[in-house]
Amino acid sequence: MAAWVKGGAADVDAAVEAAVDLLAAARVPVLAGLSADVSALRAAYRLAETLGASLDPVSGPSVYAELGALSAGGVMTTTRAETIGRADVVLVLGNRPWDGDLIGEIAAAAPSRGRAAGAERALLSLGGPQNGAIRHVAYAAEAGGLAVSLGHLRAFAKGHLAGEAAYADLAKRLFAARYGVVVYDPEEVGELGVEMLQGLIRDLNETTRFFALTLADPFQGRAAVQLSAWTTGQAPRVGFGRHQPEHDPWRFDSARQIAAGEADAALWLASLPAPRPAWLGSLPTIAIVGEGSTEAAGETADIVITVGVPGEGVGGALWNERRGVIAYTEPKGPSKTAEALTASGVLARIRDRLIEKGVSC
Amino acid sequence: MLTRIHGGRVVDPTAGRDAIGDVWIEDGRVVAPSERAPDRTIDATGCVVMAGGVEVHSHIAGGNVVMSRLLLPDLYVSESAPNGHPFAHAGGSGSWIGANYARMGYTTAVEPALPPSNALATHLELADIPLLDRGGLAVMGNDDHLLQLLRDGEGRQAVRDLVQQTLAHSRGLGVKCINAGGASAFKDGVLKLSLDDEIPCYGLSTRKIMSALLDAVEEIGVPHPLHVHCNNLGLPGADDSLVATLEAAEGRRIHFAHAQFYAYGVVDPENPMTGGFRSAAERINAAMEEHPNATYDVGQVVFGQTVTISLDILRQFGGRKGAKPKKWVLTAGDAEGGGVVPFLYRPRGPVSSLQWAIGLELMLLSSNPERTILTTDHPNGGVFTEYPRIIHLLMDTEERAKEIATLPAIVGERSGLPKIEREYTFSEIAQLTRSGPAKLLGLTDRGHLREGAKADVAIYRDERDRTAMFSRAKLVLKDGQPIVEDGEVVAWFSGKTLSLDVEADAGMEKRAESYLQDRFGAGLDTFAVPDAAFPENTGTFEDVACRA
Repeated sequence: MAAWVKGGAADVDAAVEAAVDLLAAARVPVLAGLSADVSALRAAYRLAETLGASLDPVSGPSVYAELGALSAGGVMTTTRAETIGRADVVLVLGNRPWDGDLIGEIAAAAPSRGRAAGAERALLSLGGPQNGAIRHVAYAAEAGGLAVSLGHLRAFAKGHLAGEAAYADLAKRLFAARYGVVVYDPEEVGELGVEMLQGLIRDLNETTRFFALTLADPFQGRAAVQLSAWTTGQAPRVGFGRHQPEHDPWRFDSARQIAAGEADAALWLASLPAPRPAWLGSLPTIAIVGEGSTEAAGETADIVITVGVPGEGVGGALWNERRGVIAYTEPKGPSKTAEALTASGVLARIRDRLIEKGVSC
Repeated sequence: MLTRIHGGRVVDPTAGRDAIGDVWIEDGRVVAPSERAPDRTIDATGCVVMAGGVEVHSHIAGGNVVMSRLLLPDLYVSESAPNGHPFAHAGGSGSWIGANYARMGYTTAVEPALPPSNALATHLELADIPLLDRGGLAVMGNDDHLLQLLRDGEGRQAVRDLVQQTLAHSRGLGVKCINAGGASAFKDGVLKLSLDDEIPCYGLSTRKIMSALLDAVEEIGVPHPLHVHCNNLGLPGADDSLVATLEAAEGRRIHFAHAQFYAYGVVDPENPMTGGFRSAAERINAAMEEHPNATYDVGQVVFGQTVTISLDILRQFGGRKGAKPKKWVLTAGDAEGGGVVPFLYRPRGPVSSLQWAIGLELMLLSSNPERTILTTDHPNGGVFTEYPRIIHLLMDTEERAKEIATLPAIVGERSGLPKIEREYTFSEIAQLTRSGPAKLLGLTDRGHLREGAKADVAIYRDERDRTAMFSRAKLVLKDGQPIVEDGEVVAWFSGKTLSLDVEADAGMEKRAESYLQDRFGAGLDTFAVPDAAFPENTGTFEDVACRA
């Protein structure tokens, strides 16, 4: 595997040793990115605890739009397979759900299970692209955006607003569902919108069954949330600076910490693709990145260690968007190099060496 | 290394032992008394020596447990832990769970709801619970594939093969059914379901589904009987559901989960849903006497804030408006899904006081504590760390009377608890928490201290304050090694996940693959729990053999 220290090619042992020295010298290190398989996430949590560091997944904005509403008011959700198998009414919110293959699959099939089996499926959209490629009934979003539109839709559904408005018609269609599903991306809808939408779903469930199908972020955020919850009892972002896990989305926002000068070292974990953070290069940094990625180069950070990409060169437990669960993904083929390191292995080695050296936070 | 635990009061009801004596250990097993000089002698003078505790029903892992932490992040408190295990002081975490069970002298715990559709994440979470051997029960009874087979009358062999394939792929220790057909019915608009009500679209009933699973479990030879969560949990008249389900088992082995939540007799037959409930503990225990094929765990309620976690989405939907605080998560999943609903058992509230009394009454009226297993259905009735207090109440009439005196009169009016004078003995506590659950799970190597047993041993100081005694074991050995001393964890042993040694039938595997591809656009590999997913825990799993 390739590794670089200060831009120069190095063997992995030397890179690990340099990483240990960098972290041992830091007072407020942050572990960011966390776009990796479950065993690497697990190793990152253990390393952060040893260091007294904080952890911040790149999936933060998506995770928080969902978690904020969840802990405030709860959610009612369903799965992709239940949507395709059972739903007679599907409302697609915003633009993002139209990007992948999900809506096409929903549109291509009619309900085949449950009480709506054999019925036609009504595909509705609110605030979508209206590109006409997939047949559906489109409702425009209001000028205030999706959250305001959802507020008005809920008001019509509850009878707090009346009239011949389009949203009154949409509300009627939702109540007519036997198994209704609303598909959305939490990041696009935003925390306020998600909260309003979940309120609408609760209202609909007074008379019928209606659930949300939310899109996951593409950076393993949902796996990170689960691992974090069973490891620390809390969702990310989490910090260990005071010898106990503390959940604080604002305080442990790595971009904020770095911009404010609070953090003095960073470890960027992206064995799977993740957007390159703007702060890379602005403080002493270790990058653990997937082999073959554009970040797998000496100039990415002070220390760069390439590792096998989970699901490509090495196996790994990953968030499976289609199934909505963590599933093990076998490697597709041999690693590009003879012996692929795993991110979890590298992180564990760094931690072991820190413990050997008696470093404590 | 030969170890002698010397001079303690050894309590092992399976061997009729309750006397001062020794326990000998070598190579992680209990051995016969030896002529050789021991390498280590543990002085247990003034102590009670029991096998390690065994938990049969505690929600310690899985998607809904994760969700409960996200819904109620403030339920547990994290404490500073400068030394030792990094996460054992992180309130509600897997490490916290392992540490707190171990401190009480428990060495095995089973998660009763392992959803086959989400098996890998549940097992990854279980594997991160230190100090204990763990296991999970694969949940069936609402999945479309099973219901299709039953609807189409495919016969016992097909059902058996599907159950076996599910067990093999999810690496379960046993099989559980939760309000069989209820989640499916809920998705089709049903809000109340009893044993013989029709499950829409399938023409089945809970009775038919459960009966098929009872047969399959017997034919496969699963050591643990079918673990059943009945219809109508928590409703007045739920005792009818439990007794009807017991009779529907028709002599086949069956285990009832959290019986306390079903021991609610109707007070006013004219207004069954609004007239309240009274204890049906006597009725439930009388029914158990008549059906030696059955066991139950209690699901004792303790006062205070908790969060209810159940795959019984129909029940959780019904209970959502009783949430405190007023928020909940309901998931219409690929089979069961589930619900997470916060709940406050109001201290000294009339309803929660009656529930509290009924659980104790069930245990105190039981003629055989081995068939009456102590659980709180953690966290549904309350947190498992309350076990020592519950044991105290069972063992001490005076302590019980003191507590009852603080509660509303309804406890005496609608339950028989205040009149019961029975005090549990140490042997009965060992039956309730050791030999009973181990026998129930079919784990012959634990729950006792006979020769050949795993050297999972709990040593408690014999204190009058039983709460203190059972909260902090003096010494706990796991596989012969000390893991707890004076109530504190001293070694971070990693236990095994116990899973049944079964192989999927090749024909059913092929059929399941085709079914799953059609329904999910993904195959069995996305349901699998391969060893490779546990890179840091090689040897995570330990096989448990089927019955001969």
